[in-house]
Amino acid sequence: MIPDRKYFSAGWAVAWRYLHNLYTKPAVFVPGLIFPLFFLAAFAGGLSAVGDTPKFDYYDFTAFQFCFILIQASALAGVFVGFSIAGDFEQGMGRRMMLATSRRSSILLGYAIGAALRLIVVWVIITGVSLLAGMEVRGSGYDLVGMYSLGLLANVVALLFSAGIAFRFRSLQAGPLMQMPVFIALFLAPVYVPQELLTGWIEPVAKVNPVTALLNGARSLMAGDPTGILLAYGIAFGMIALLALWALRGLRRAEVAG
Amino acid sequence: MPEREAGQGAPNTQSNGIEVEGLVRQFKNGPKAVDGISLTVEPGEIYGFLGPNGAGKSTTVHMLTTLLPPTAGSARVAGLDVANQGAEVRKLIGAALQEAALDPNLTGREHMKLQTALHGLPREERVRRGDELIERVGLSSAADRRVGGYSGGMKRRLDLALALVHRPRVLFLDEPTTGLDPQSRASLWEEVTRLSTQDGVTVFLTTQYLEEADQLANRVGIIDAGKIAAEGTPSALKAEIGRPSVEVLPVDPERRGEAEQILLRFGTAVPAARDALSVRLNEGINELAAIVRSFDSAGIELASLGLNEPTLDDVFLAKTGRHLEGAGEADSAEMRLPEVEAAGSS
Ligand SMILES: Nc1ncnc2c1ncn2[C@@H]1O[C@H](COP(=O)(O)OP(=O)(O)OP(=O)(O)O)[C@@H](O)[C@H]1O
Ligand SMILES: [Mg+2]
Repeated sequence: MIPDRKYFSAGWAVAWRYLHNLYTKPAVFVPGLIFPLFFLAAFAGGLSAVGDTPKFDYYDFTAFQFCFILIQASALAGVFVGFSIAGDFEQGMGRRMMLATSRRSSILLGYAIGAALRLIVVWVIITGVSLLAGMEVRGSGYDLVGMYSLGLLANVVALLFSAGIAFRFRSLQAGPLMQMPVFIALFLAPVYVPQELLTGWIEPVAKVNPVTALLNGARSLMAGDPTGILLAYGIAFGMIALLALWALRGLRRAEVAG
Repeated sequence: MPEREAGQGAPNTQSNGIEVEGLVRQFKNGPKAVDGISLTVEPGEIYGFLGPNGAGKSTTVHMLTTLLPPTAGSARVAGLDVANQGAEVRKLIGAALQEAALDPNLTGREHMKLQTALHGLPREERVRRGDELIERVGLSSAADRRVGGYSGGMKRRLDLALALVHRPRVLFLDEPTTGLDPQSRASLWEEVTRLSTQDGVTVFLTTQYLEEADQLANRVGIIDAGKIAAEGTPSALKAEIGRPSVEVLPVDPERRGEAEQILLRFGTAVPAARDALSVRLNEGINELAAIVRSFDSAGIELASLGLNEPTLDDVFLAKTGRHLEGAGEADSAEMRLPEVEAAGSS
């Protein structure tokens, strides 16, 4: 079962169409950007006072928030792929792809490639805006590669999760089912203040939330002081392994549903 | 899995026919959409799968094209088992399904680009093959327009062209001419015939249209309620029904009852066109003269009198007790010979 040239050719075809449709239909592309940019604006404005509180020990509030926005935007980009898959199956293109590909996991690969390429554009935009807003970057080139890689992993996790749902429901009505869990996980992490400053019920929740590890990892890389990186990568790869199974099983379900 | 494929693919891999054996599809909480059908399609043949709405045509096509696993039974397409060798089967077949799955945002040419890449055609061949097929189905001038603006017929033709990009050995067409104007239908028939006769492609085509099965198909399978009601060449099927029918239309509607009495002496009632009366002749064409004489001596003037050779509709009627046209799942019960009953009571 070694993927051959045809396998990747089919994957590229799926990715090409995904990107082509984003490019020709801005209405599909823009929502994935609005959320992160909205947060960026909110933090850079009113909420930046949080950064002045004495216990806030991160070096730069905008950089602190940027890391959250990076993870958020990356994860949302993954969820939006789930929307595209659901839409394609609802509207019939799913069947065309199922018929025309000999090995069907190439379809999932194609969406994933498309998502990753889309993500690069999203990163460029949010990074550019943050730099314009005065973000200070302390991490080295290696640190930043590590940080963006965490973003990519968050993207793959969310993509596999929502693809699994999309393949099972094959309808856009399943959209909230893909989106809500990802949103909730994102906000049950230390979004506004460092983990040490969390109090109340959110503190134990954030502690076990895998997003917290990703976020802390990204922030430490941004600061040029990597800590908990192994944990962050370990959790991300573990989830990817589990969710790949979830997504591929979903694909099998779609295959037998006609 | 690979070792299994090799073993099962061994017999008959060279054939590009279809062999179906006791195929069943039971939907969850739903009907037995396909209820144990068996059929054989010879390589290079056009097989017409004729049946009313809800008969199970599309479900059969979905199983044969590996989109839907059979609940029971087996099917081999081009010598390969659809349930266990799906990936191999898909390389050898092309399909244009009932609802042409097209992306309204892509142009015709972009669809070709997508489809050739999905099938993994070598990069340098893709554009050439795409252009060739677009030309072949007469879409050259519309190739760079978005499919969202195509007419129904154009979409069908594009879908057919897409099904052909990888030169399939077996082609599945699910109601390819439904909703097409006569001219588009004729050109599609021509194309299908050419594929079969010149390229040796086996064509499995579903239809609700009698003439389509009759004129296009080498052999016809009639499916009703998930079961094969009859199978054979169109002429053999009609010959099996044998006797022709006679249809008359009295000038004076008042004398319908009388006319019917006369007609029933020569045969058994079969459904007729509005206001007309029709019987399948007991003895055959020799009775025609006697019928004319009887009406003449009774003084009943006829607006028309016609002799009808058996059609596939008669075959369907003989096998299922109702007409093909309008014999969909929803209204099958009350479709049993309504015209004749009405005629009798008036
Ligand atoms: N996914 C499904 N789930 C449940 N029942 C289904 C499903 N698909 C088809 N059916 C049922 O199976 C039966 C056969 O449907 P099918 O689509 O095969 O008929 P058809 O011959 O193609 O009809 P048409 O001419 O209208 O296309 C119908 O009663 C239909 O309602
Ligand atoms: Mg159908």
